[in-house]
Amino acid sequence: MATVTTPTTPSARVVKAGAHLRRKKRLFWPFAAPALVLYLAFLVLPTIATVVLSFTSWAGAGDTPKPNGVTNYTQMVASDSFQYAFGNTLIYVFLGGIGTFALAFLFTMVLRDMKGGKTVRAILFFPNIVAPVALGMFLGFVFKYQPGKQGLANYVMEGLGADAAKFLAPSNVTGVVTASLIWASSGFYITILMAAVDRIPPYLYEDAELGGASPWQKFRNITLPMTWDVVGVAGVLWTINALKIFELVFVLAGPGTYAPPNEAWTLGIYVFDRTFGSNGTPDFGAACACAVAMIALVSVLVVLLRRLMRRDAIQF
Amino acid sequence: MSVTDDVEAPARPPAKPVRKPPRKPRPAPGSKRLSPLRVLGSAIVWLFTAGNILVLYWLLTASFKTPVEIFTKPFALPYQWFNVGKPFRNFIYAWNNAGFGDAVLTTVVLVGLATVVTVAVSAPCAYALTRLGVRGSGPMTNAVAIGMGVPFQTVIIPLFVVLSKIHLDNEYGLFLLYVALSIPFTVFLMTGFFRSLPDELEEAAALDGASPTRTFFSVMLPLTRGGMITALTLNAIGLWNETLLAIVFLKDQAHFTLSRALFTFYGAASYQSEYGGLIAGVAIVVLPMLVLYLVLARRIITGLTLGAGK
Repeated sequence: MATVTTPTTPSARVVKAGAHLRRKKRLFWPFAAPALVLYLAFLVLPTIATVVLSFTSWAGAGDTPKPNGVTNYTQMVASDSFQYAFGNTLIYVFLGGIGTFALAFLFTMVLRDMKGGKTVRAILFFPNIVAPVALGMFLGFVFKYQPGKQGLANYVMEGLGADAAKFLAPSNVTGVVTASLIWASSGFYITILMAAVDRIPPYLYEDAELGGASPWQKFRNITLPMTWDVVGVAGVLWTINALKIFELVFVLAGPGTYAPPNEAWTLGIYVFDRTFGSNGTPDFGAACACAVAMIALVSVLVVLLRRLMRRDAIQF
Repeated sequence: MSVTDDVEAPARPPAKPVRKPPRKPRPAPGSKRLSPLRVLGSAIVWLFTAGNILVLYWLLTASFKTPVEIFTKPFALPYQWFNVGKPFRNFIYAWNNAGFGDAVLTTVVLVGLATVVTVAVSAPCAYALTRLGVRGSGPMTNAVAIGMGVPFQTVIIPLFVVLSKIHLDNEYGLFLLYVALSIPFTVFLMTGFFRSLPDELEEAAALDGASPTRTFFSVMLPLTRGGMITALTLNAIGLWNETLLAIVFLKDQAHFTLSRALFTFYGAASYQSEYGGLIAGVAIVVLPMLVLYLVLARRIITGLTLGAGK
């Protein structure tokens, strides 16, 4: 083993190094191939297949897909259920995103020099490790409306003298889900942003304090510029996660076994209902079209966000 | 308070130096000022935190209560089931009626195997992409990372059709899916860890005559142990909670995962107003994650932030 280290001539050493480099490079495919093959087979190819199938009329397994151009798309865009699904998904992405990030920013202002901040962070993070199904059921009990058997939210409201509200009625459920989403996911984004805030040199804040800066000024002029890149990444993560929201709404707004009323739909529920949901006849072609709409929306929003957030990196 | 000190100080006769304890440095202007924003912020933070704790308390107590107690005395401690000497009645009901007994075994085996295999496949790939200096690694890493943004709904339809054709619409197919769909995130996370290792380590190993394979297994891989544990934990949590794929691919009740079983149980138990049992069911799914979280909170949080910060 040790023989390699005995240097002979400079040129021989170069050859050795080159040989080592070649041996290293030869390792690439055996190491990378298993993961890349799985990635291709289970993510890339199915995505392409979905795009192709979205241009066919196809009832599902047992039926053969027949090309029908953009019919799926025109029918989908014209349908009520898709319009609700699309609108709700956008509400969750934008309204939920604004709420979550506003809350997260507020928390970064306060948590940075607060006693017990670490514990608070750990507590706020907790809803993120709960299964969305369990979270949906749990929130179903919290927002339950049934005179005499009110859920926690209505119990508190009645206790305060207000009237109980039908939180989970189809017309209200979008608002309730948005609020729940903000509550459940803010911990995750607070955690990410706080990790970035912790890396900011404290002397910047000390300097600002000597200058008499208000918390808002400190946030505006120190925290935000210094965490901008992480905010960008967090925004991308939010967009990806909010766009595929499915289980939480499915369980919270519906009876649990089949899809909730149309007003509460998201794009994820649309795909599910047209394929594996037990409500109505399956229409895999339409579901594929909606799935394509989902991935197109993710791509557009992520690219836009990256564009919007782009600026020169700050070194510190 | 410090203002009065300032006013008094010059009034003291300077002739006789009286020894007095050194004055505390005056706080910088602005730092101790109670701005309304700060007060409001702190209030919201504490309210929010208290709300979360209350919710957890409600979940834990409600799982021991009768439906009447749950809805009429939400904040009281459970009483009725303890009184009749069957405190775990809800848990027993949920366990028996939702088929959690089988589901726990399926979930633990499935999630355990899938996370280990995912990391075993992803770690060498991440190493190859970051450390072997092969041209095109950068774009390839990005291409894999993009996979994190693909919603499951986009791939589920062709996968279901193909896998059911070859009779893999069961827990084996689900295992394959779990591994494959966890790869983008895991590879992305692990590339971050491998990239942070210094080049000198590999050079030293090469000088000592270690083959590239050996360098990976005995030098580089052990150094990313922290990253691997993080990847294992995060994938385990994600897959433990995964429901959509389990709903689509698992048809046989005997092989349901926990979240899948809970999903079915929800429909059935809602009809019978078995709210106590349902909340106990939710608790059964949530509590293992709570324990895991309490043990590994720091690692989970650092892992997540590392993945996002890069």
